[in-house]
Amino acid sequence: MLPLSLLNIAQGHPMLVELKNGETFNGHLVNCDNWMNLTLREVIQTSPEGDRFWRLPECYIRGNTIKYLRVPDEIIEMVKDDAVRQRQQAPVSSSRGHGSSRGRGGGGGSGRGKSTKKR
Amino acid sequence: MSELQKYVDLTVEVITSDGRVIVGTFKGFDQTTNVILSSCHERVFSETEGVETLPLGLYIIRGDNIVLIGEIDLERDASVDLSEIRAAPITDITRR
Repeated sequence: MLPLSLLNIAQGHPMLVELKNGETFNGHLVNCDNWMNLTLREVIQTSPEGDRFWRLPECYIRGNTIKYLRVPDEIIEMVKDDAVRQRQQAPVSSSRGHGSSRGRGGGGGSGRGKSTKKR
Repeated sequence: MSELQKYVDLTVEVITSDGRVIVGTFKGFDQTTNVILSSCHERVFSETEGVETLPLGLYIIRGDNIVLIGEIDLERDASVDLSEIRAAPITDITRR
C-alpha cells in the first residue's frame, strides 16, 4: 500500500499533521498531491511548545515541511476496499498512480508501459 | 528498495531524525521511503525510569525524517520487560 494512496483515501477525514518544526495542525483533509502538499479545513494550529493555539478556516501545507501525519485508524480498512474495487473495475489498466509511464518501446511489445508496483 | 518489501505486514521499529522510536505494523512504503505504520506506539526511553509506551494509531511518516527501519523479532521483544530497561534517549540528529 502506497503512503500517498492512503493519504488520498483519507480525503475528507480529520487528521493531525506535525511539521518538522514541531507545530501541529489538526483539521480535515481537503486535498493532497504527489508531493504531499495538503489543504486542510477547520484547522487548529498549535505551536511547537504546545502553549499557543490558532484557529484557521483553511490552510495549505507544503509537503516537504511535514514530519508525519496521524490519520484515523479506519482509513486502513477503506484502502483494502478501494484496492479490491479498482482491480475489479480496470483489470488491464496500467497507468495507476504516480511514477508509471506509458512508453512505446522499440520492440513490438504490448506498449502498455510499466506495471504498477506491488501493493 | 525491494528490501523494504520484505518487511511489509511485519512489526518494525522506526527511528526518526528527532530521536523517536516508533514500533508498529509496516503497511507500505514508496520511493522516498515515506512509510505507513498501523497500530503503532512510541517507546520513550529514560535513564531513570522504565520504558513508557505511548499509543499512536495509524501514521504516515515522511521519508525525510526516517533514520532506520528494523524488523522486530516478536518473541525476543515479548521476552523483554520494558519496565526494567534504563536507557538514554536518542538525541535529535540535527543538533550537534
